[in-house]
Amino acid sequence: MSTLDVGAYSPREKGVVGLLGALGALLLIAVVTGFLAPAYLLYLVGLSAMYMLLSMGLNVQWGYGGMINFSVAAFFGLGAYGTALLTASGSPISGGVSPVIALFGGLALAAVLAVIIGYPTLKLRDDYLAIASLGLAEVVRIFILNESQWTAGSAGLTGIPLFFSDWPVLGDLTYPYVFYAGGTPVFNMSQSVVTSFLNVVLVTVIVAAVYLFLRRIHQSPWGRVLRTIRTDEDLAETLGKNTFAFKMQAFVIGSLIMALAGVFYSHLVLFVSPQDLQPITTFYVWVAVILGGTGSDRGAMLGGFTIVAIQQGTRFMTDTGALPIGAAPLRLMLVGLLIIFIVRLRPEGILPPERELIWPDSLGGGRDE
Amino acid sequence: MSEQSLVSDGPVLGKTDPVLRAEGLEKRFGGLVATDDASIEVERGTITGLIGPNGAGKSTLFNLVSGFYEPDAGSVSVNGVNVTGQKPHEIADQGMIRTFQTPRKPEGMTVREALLVGPHNQTGESIIPLFTSPSTVEQEERRSLEQAQQMLERFEIGDLATQPATDLSGGQMKLVELARGMMAEPDLLLLDEPVAGVNPVLADKLAGFIEELNEEGITFLIIEHDMNFIMRLADPIIVLNQGSVLVEGPPEAVRSDERVIDAYLGGPSE
Ligand SMILES: Nc1ncnc2c1ncn2[C@@H]1O[C@H](COP(=O)(O)OP(=O)(O)OP(=O)(O)O)[C@@H](O)[C@H]1O
Ligand SMILES: [Mg+2]
Repeated sequence: MSTLDVGAYSPREKGVVGLLGALGALLLIAVVTGFLAPAYLLYLVGLSAMYMLLSMGLNVQWGYGGMINFSVAAFFGLGAYGTALLTASGSPISGGVSPVIALFGGLALAAVLAVIIGYPTLKLRDDYLAIASLGLAEVVRIFILNESQWTAGSAGLTGIPLFFSDWPVLGDLTYPYVFYAGGTPVFNMSQSVVTSFLNVVLVTVIVAAVYLFLRRIHQSPWGRVLRTIRTDEDLAETLGKNTFAFKMQAFVIGSLIMALAGVFYSHLVLFVSPQDLQPITTFYVWVAVILGGTGSDRGAMLGGFTIVAIQQGTRFMTDTGALPIGAAPLRLMLVGLLIIFIVRLRPEGILPPERELIWPDSLGGGRDE
Repeated sequence: MSEQSLVSDGPVLGKTDPVLRAEGLEKRFGGLVATDDASIEVERGTITGLIGPNGAGKSTLFNLVSGFYEPDAGSVSVNGVNVTGQKPHEIADQGMIRTFQTPRKPEGMTVREALLVGPHNQTGESIIPLFTSPSTVEQEERRSLEQAQQMLERFEIGDLATQPATDLSGGQMKLVELARGMMAEPDLLLLDEPVAGVNPVLADKLAGFIEELNEEGITFLIIEHDMNFIMRLADPIIVLNQGSVLVEGPPEAVRSDERVIDAYLGGPSE
């Protein structure tokens, strides 16, 4: 089995893949017929990928290890602000740092905060993390809002460069960019299409890398210990597992993935403000993970995608003027219906985990699903 | 009576090679003294029984020696290492594995998956080796899988390997717990009521397995209310009453001891 193998698909997963394929085809048709601007489609892809990252991050914490984190928005925000403060021309601190380096600034901030909140709470049982993280999210948001000498406060940070801004070649493209084939210009692209395209490439690489990373650590003895901790921490302890260490690792990894989503977001929309740290993001990501299937990486991705589909789809539907209801109430109504749907019909989510957490290569020939 | 003299008043201490030694343990829950100056020693190679009426403090004693409760006084050592105040996982690493009175069901796991959690210090439990030395992880995992299958077959539940660990009968659950404990390669297994709620046929089988494992060198400390079961298996038997050790001795002698009978009948224990 090759290391890049993404695993066999169950019938349900095939169904979901089919549905997503159909949706993709529909969106492509919308672009070709001029119904949807290409740059907007690419932006949507970027946004979905961002939510996928957030959901995957929360899934590591809640789905793998049963840790309740209500600070998703804060870790996302630290990633976003971390990179923005280092790179943005409007940054009150430094600015001008290369985004590739600033990326690690955002991640470091999130890791430090994860350890600070995890250290006291993960030693305790049950709900301490949940309570502490609930407070933490607001502390971070209000800190950013008030400490404007460092964070620019409610005005937000502007002048964030594109992630590729200082790369060779990619940073120096001239627009409209003309694509040549055999010396003849084939088509030219506006700046917004090129940058959106580059962003999509970037985020696709990030999502794929995160997914493959998670797949490996999940289907392993490490993931198995976390699954044990999730159902019964005492049991894991009696078997000699240092549950605190395992939980801490999962908590930090999940937070880093959330921060990664924030870093990407900064360089996607090129502006961050305390508005981006609203608790509603945390709520959406929780819905995404539970809808997708707690504990399943693929489920988390599907859930993240679905949330963006609802967020943006509602805007789209009301934009056409076909509905007698505003986008915001429609969105909340749909999310509400979705939650009722999950609770009533599929409490385990759309793609619940189906795999044994056993190192795949050691199962010899053929996986049993 | 000659039998009476075989029964020691209080615990027998100063054994030659104890795996577990607990000294003067004390545990209070508010005003209630659950463990009151309890000392025990479990000699290597024995199957030691721990009996006593409901509420005598047997499970509390297990929780104290395995690190789940912090004792108010006293000390615990495993294999000669003082483990007082250590975390349960640290104590488990010293070679003492326990089970719980109410079986712990790992939800969302298959039986073999649950067993694979058993082995200590697996390479694949650290993240970095998952990427730097996947072949070591794979080899270990293969070995553990084989071992798990052998263990299940030995307990005659080989066909359950890929069943959900939650879909088992009470008796099967106990067997899986025993198998999982064995995967950790312990010196000493603490079993809290291994045959509670288990049908007599399976209980008999379980007793046979425990004897076999004991012959292979595993030491056992077993809490059990089923007198036939414990009398058949264990020697010596320690009787706990009101938080401290009442007597200790060979099964037949303990069974007919006046103090033990009184304790079970709730009478005065002098
Ligand atoms: N966590 C706790 N908090 C308060 N009281 C407790 C706690 N654990 C045990 N006790 C009390 O301590 C005493 C001893 O309980 P323990 O469970 O050790 O008894 P036991 O000998 O195992 O009984 P059984 O045979 O019924 O399992 C009981 O009175 C019990 O109510
Ligand atoms: Mg008990």
